[in-house]
Amino acid sequence: MDPTEDSMHVPEPEVLSLATLFTPQFLVLSSLAVAVILLAVVAFVSRRKSNLRGDALLLVGPPDAGKTAIFSSLVYRQTLPSHTSMQPNVSSMHLQDKSLRVVDVPGHPRIRDQFREYMTDAQGIAFVVDSSTVSRNGAVVAEHLHQILHAIASLPPSRPTPALIIVAHKADLLKSTAQATPGQLAVNRARAILERELEKRRASQAGGVGIEGLGAEGAESEMGGLECSGNGEFRFDAWEGGEIVFVGTSVNTKQTNGVVDEKSDDIDGLAPLVQWIEEL
Amino acid sequence: MLDLCSISHKGGLVLWSRSFTPAASQSVASSASPVNSLIREALIEGRTAENKYEKDGYSVKWTFVNDLELIFVVAYQRILQLTYVDELLAALKTLFVKLFQPFLATFVASLHAASTGALSSNASQAAATWNFAKAFDGWDNVFDKLLRGLEDKAAQDRKTRVGHVPRSTVDPSPPSDDPSTIPLHDSEASVDEQQIARNVQALKTRLRGRGGRMGKRGGGRADIGSGRDSHPGSDSDTPTKRKPKGKAQRKWGDEAPSESDMASLNFSYEKIDSSDAGSLDLSALVDKGSLGTRTQDGLYEVKDWEFSAADDVISRVIQDGAPSAKASATPGSLGALGSIFARLTGSKVLTEDDLKPVLEAMKQHLMKKNVAKEIADKVCEGVGDGLVGKKVGGFQTTNAAVRQALSNSLTRILTPKTSTDLLLSIRTKLSSPLPSTQQRLPYSITFVGVNGVGKSTNLSKVCFWLIQNGLRVLIAACDTFRSGAVEQLRVHVRNLSMLGVNGATNSKSRVELYERGYGKDAAGIAKEAITYARDNDFDVVLIDTAGRMQDNEPLMRALAKLVAVNSPDKIIFVGEALVGNEAVDQLTKFDRALRDFSASSGGRERGIDGMLVTKWDTVDDKVGAALSMTYVTGQPIIFVGCGQTYTDLRQLRVANVVQAILSD
Repeated sequence: MDPTEDSMHVPEPEVLSLATLFTPQFLVLSSLAVAVILLAVVAFVSRRKSNLRGDALLLVGPPDAGKTAIFSSLVYRQTLPSHTSMQPNVSSMHLQDKSLRVVDVPGHPRIRDQFREYMTDAQGIAFVVDSSTVSRNGAVVAEHLHQILHAIASLPPSRPTPALIIVAHKADLLKSTAQATPGQLAVNRARAILERELEKRRASQAGGVGIEGLGAEGAESEMGGLECSGNGEFRFDAWEGGEIVFVGTSVNTKQTNGVVDEKSDDIDGLAPLVQWIEEL
Repeated sequence: MLDLCSISHKGGLVLWSRSFTPAASQSVASSASPVNSLIREALIEGRTAENKYEKDGYSVKWTFVNDLELIFVVAYQRILQLTYVDELLAALKTLFVKLFQPFLATFVASLHAASTGALSSNASQAAATWNFAKAFDGWDNVFDKLLRGLEDKAAQDRKTRVGHVPRSTVDPSPPSDDPSTIPLHDSEASVDEQQIARNVQALKTRLRGRGGRMGKRGGGRADIGSGRDSHPGSDSDTPTKRKPKGKAQRKWGDEAPSESDMASLNFSYEKIDSSDAGSLDLSALVDKGSLGTRTQDGLYEVKDWEFSAADDVISRVIQDGAPSAKASATPGSLGALGSIFARLTGSKVLTEDDLKPVLEAMKQHLMKKNVAKEIADKVCEGVGDGLVGKKVGGFQTTNAAVRQALSNSLTRILTPKTSTDLLLSIRTKLSSPLPSTQQRLPYSITFVGVNGVGKSTNLSKVCFWLIQNGLRVLIAACDTFRSGAVEQLRVHVRNLSMLGVNGATNSKSRVELYERGYGKDAAGIAKEAITYARDNDFDVVLIDTAGRMQDNEPLMRALAKLVAVNSPDKIIFVGEALVGNEAVDQLTKFDRALRDFSASSGGRERGIDGMLVTKWDTVDDKVGAALSMTYVTGQPIIFVGCGQTYTDLRQLRVANVVQAILSD
């Protein structure tokens, strides 16, 4: 009859073991919630990544190639006369089932580096070349093309690489022969000359000792971008950065003061390019 | 009278264009048209001194409308002196913008669609159906009327000027053989100095004229001509020689000075104004914040040098200038508050008053970074021209807009427009096809510059680099003037041949010196060196020349002769980074002298092809000399020398230099 024993017989505070917390229902509910969160995150990331793909077509190339004329044909459906561009033009064009942004970057050597700002948004890059004068200034055109190839090759691998097309423009200035139409002639000529010049550039850099740039250590001073599979010699179909397509195009230029009858004609010359854009 | 008139957008699309001659209309679409040349060579390079540009016999004038990004260009024959072109441009600008404002605004907006969503699909479908010809419908008539009005006014002005000529003749009559005409004018003459001087001059002319006519000297006729010219309107011949009004008659030294001349030429001390001393700003001489301290002994010690924390120079200047700016805010607008609201809603338009203080601060900053004063002036002016009237949107302040525009402009000036890859050029030349009978000429590079900039040192650095790339180099010692120049190069060649490449112990056969001692003709030595290199299979010839001052004409001629005789593939100007305003003078004179003298001896005109900036390690971040040098010549900086050993040769990174110039 010891009251202390009874009073001491305090119910021991139960130490709830953690295991009891995880009742089956709780487990099911929590795993469901985690799964939902995970799915949401994955969906969000994948949607962002697909947004990363970009929606722009870049028109780049040496000066006087005809980029602004192509730009106005694609956007305004008419070819307006143009002068040397001093700044980029950004607009949007509409085809049957898609619409995308078109960016026309000036070709002058001092301001052509602006294309890098639009590289991240690019879905396709069109390098426009004047096929009637490419035999004369092949080295300069090749230097520009080398910069573009280098920029494409040095994009981070998480981004999808933009598709590259080389447009041999002003094909109507070449006289057609028995074997080939002007478009094919332009393509062959541009391809041969550019391949040769790029091979020269690659050979002069390979095995050479460069000079480092001022300032930042470790910054690349040599331009890569011309790596090819096979024996290393540069060829467009062996380029490791992706596939390069060639087309030959032309536009009609007319005076703005003239009567506007044949609007539909202008875009016919660009049909190969438009087709490639639709397949992007 | 005009040849070509065009209105186009900065992005390249032409809105309206009219050519008045068949030649102009043919060249309009080609890349050689005056507008394209203007854009390519003047506007993009940013090297526009005045609002005039000349090329191929055309004189081109232009103006901008910055908020609509339009360029208005007028081209006419250079030999014509049209006075109404500036007025025409200004009138065109205002009329065009007023008449077609809404269409232009939508057009420009369509060229800046930031994303596919920005330009709604309806608007862009509509864009595809715009009829550009109809949009500018009435403009042709307006333009014709304007042009005709201005031409009529100009013709009118010319007629009245010619008509005034006979009426204003009071003075000496045309020279005549009859001495009896002389007394006729004396009665009208007053006795003051000017009238006496004029009468004396008239007498001299008459006497000279008489002698000339009797002697039939060609020189006498020229004298008569000049004598006639000094008397405005005294002869019926002068109207044909009359230049457009506004040009003052040149003062030749053979006349006695008139009274006004005497007043302006009097530099004697009594003229000094006592008020000058009062207007001198003493506070500009001393910066109170940098005054030193006085010790207890009474000695004045200067302040210690501190490395101040990085601070944005512009915001500091604006802080200092802000009280004055607030005080001068116009009462009409809401002042600072109003401008903040305007900026937030994206409609603040930059005016010249807004830009002036910021541009002034920018100019001072550039000069502190060792950019030459004229270059800093021109660059800031160019930036200002491109920003006036532009809309500053969002949260961007005026400072940020100016800074961005300045950074773009500097990048554009410094970015090379030709390839700076020397190795590629060398390899291209060495592998180019040749007719089989000839031997291949080596690639030759000439180093020119003023005394003491480091030509020989940097020549040997370039030589080391070329040897490392497997080329065989011949150094031609064409500095036959300075004592020890040949020995210096001999030491360099000895050092370089002791440095092995690719595992070889030495490079004996890769580099050689070609010298002929002192006192000989540099051009002859260079020619022999190139022949020697060709016969012995050398790839590159580096020609070292003597340093010379840019205004020493005989030496510049000698240099041009070397260039003309040997036609080197590259002429590299070596300049030091420490040079300040001198850089502009050196480069202009070297370039001009080379072009003039080498063209006159029948060869192709050659100028400076590239630059090498030396002693880069001595200027910390005050690298403005690079900017001055590229601005003056437009040629790229190929290498930068930054030390005294053979590996201290670097390439220039444009982004680093722009950052160094704009940093504080």
